Amino acid sequence: MKRFTFDDTEPFLAKLRELLATGTPVERIEVATPFPVHEALLLLKTPVSRLKFFTFTGALTGFCAGFALTIYSATSWPMSHGGKPIVSLPPFMIIAFELTILLGAVASLLGFLYLARVPAPKYILTSIEADGKFAIFVEEL
Amino acid sequence: MKTEPVNNAAYYEQVEADVFAAMQKPRATYWLALAISLTCFGIGLACWGWQIFSGMHVSGKNNPVGWYMYITDFVFWVGIAHSGTLISAVLFLFRAKFRKAFNRSAEAMTVIAVMTAGLFPLIHLGRVWFFYWLMPYPNQRLLWVNFRSPLVWDVFAVSTYFTVSAVFFYIGLLPDLAIARRRITGIRQWFYRILSIGWRGTAKQWSHYEKLYGFLAAFATPLVISVHSVVSWDFAMSVIPGWHTTIFAPYFVAGAIFSGCAMVITLVVPMRKILGIEQYITVDHFESIAKLLLFTSMIVGYAYILEYAMAFYGGNVFETAHFMFRMLGDFRKPYWLMCFCNVLLPLTLFIRKLRRNLVYLFVLSLFVNVGMWLERFVIIVTSLAHDFDPYAWGNPNWSWVAIGITVGSFGMFFTFFLIFVKVLPVLSVTELKEERAHETLHI
Repeated sequence: MKRFTFDDTEPFLAKLRELLATGTPVERIEVATPFPVHEALLLLKTPVSRLKFFTFTGALTGFCAGFALTIYSATSWPMSHGGKPIVSLPPFMIIAFELTILLGAVASLLGFLYLARVPAPKYILTSIEADGKFAIFVEEL
Repeated sequence: MKTEPVNNAAYYEQVEADVFAAMQKPRATYWLALAISLTCFGIGLACWGWQIFSGMHVSGKNNPVGWYMYITDFVFWVGIAHSGTLISAVLFLFRAKFRKAFNRSAEAMTVIAVMTAGLFPLIHLGRVWFFYWLMPYPNQRLLWVNFRSPLVWDVFAVSTYFTVSAVFFYIGLLPDLAIARRRITGIRQWFYRILSIGWRGTAKQWSHYEKLYGFLAAFATPLVISVHSVVSWDFAMSVIPGWHTTIFAPYFVAGAIFSGCAMVITLVVPMRKILGIEQYITVDHFESIAKLLLFTSMIVGYAYILEYAMAFYGGNVFETAHFMFRMLGDFRKPYWLMCFCNVLLPLTLFIRKLRRNLVYLFVLSLFVNVGMWLERFVIIVTSLAHDFDPYAWGNPNWSWVAIGITVGSFGMFFTFFLIFVKVLPVLSVTELKEERAHETLHI
């Protein structure tokens, strides 16, 4: 594994461009930066995050769960309060709305942990190479 | 003031050094502040213990004023939480640059304020050990909670709000925790090692991270509006004069952001001085937040006027009588003090010189905090004390226990905030670096 470290984005990007220009395949390059460097993501052709599927699934589950919980519990022991309908959609909508956000956010968090491969016990227990630097790791054949 | 380094790499190093220097061994003033906060917190806990031991009569609540200081405190603290989400999520979506100076402390404030607020419904309960009856769970008698009741909406709204803001706070912290892991040595390092969950900042990780941050901001924005709307519906869904009105939701949301901005100023003005981070939280940043304060103050002022307009043009005698009582009755002092603190005093922020004077802003923010607490007090207590039937009118009892618990909530809030400033980085180092890189990168 070859390693290049830099203190700033400009030399880091210059080196990355150079490596790519000299024919190093994208798959063999890994970069680590202290903040997101979008140019590097573009150069490495990092695929668009699939996180949205987790978010959407979570949000949809929350929305359905909100209505399911409220309608099920209202009908399992029907109690009339002030003549309001047993299944009153406007108030149930509020529960569904809150659960959409709750489960959407929680699913996004779990999806992120899965996709970004954290928590990573290896990197918690050992110190991280070139931590805090703009680093390029090139896998050698 | 230190001169800013020309070189980016030197700037990155200096930001880290400055922010992490703030987390070093505290000075005597810090310990003093912590001691005062802890004492207040202790007083609050003792009062709560006394209330549980001796019964609810010590809380000053009575018939008709069954909602008193605890509900006032609850609404106050939920409101304080709101500007944290506004600054971190809404201003993020609008790409407002000045948020970077405040977002970390505002997010911490949100999480702590919701925790504080969350205690009040429990303190308000007669038998606190049955608080779980609020949750919908299947029990042997198949008795579910009533989902048509706004109090149950509140349980969902506030617990969702706490969860989402805690996640948002943590995700924002993650790259900075990775810096802490590198910079802090000794046994304390393990704390940051575990909290930073092995974050490396690879291209893939950042691409997922940015998506997640965006999604959380997008979730938090409608959430923050819904939470205080739901809190306002606790009142507006009833038929009590002074509560039963459709403007309550926007009125409460604006008030929440207003009070939260004031609390951010109250916390950050001394914090930047004590921690020596004046370079990163500048007067320009404060001016932006002062403008937000002025804007929300005018919405609140408009709502105060509108309430009267609706009461007097609506032709409902109970509403009219109630609003006359609010202005001229037993609670006129808190009412007029509230108007002074929330509507008149913030108008001085139209003067640029005052907006940029931090001592003035700090003092003003204290007045707004008081004013916004009084607003909730006035809304809750006057309406209950003076409803339809003169035979049922009555004022709450004076209660040292309720005051002690209110003081205790401030003690709890400041204790947690003081712990936060020494344990976690108070500025988003990663975002500051990123901003600098964007300013200087030429591609």
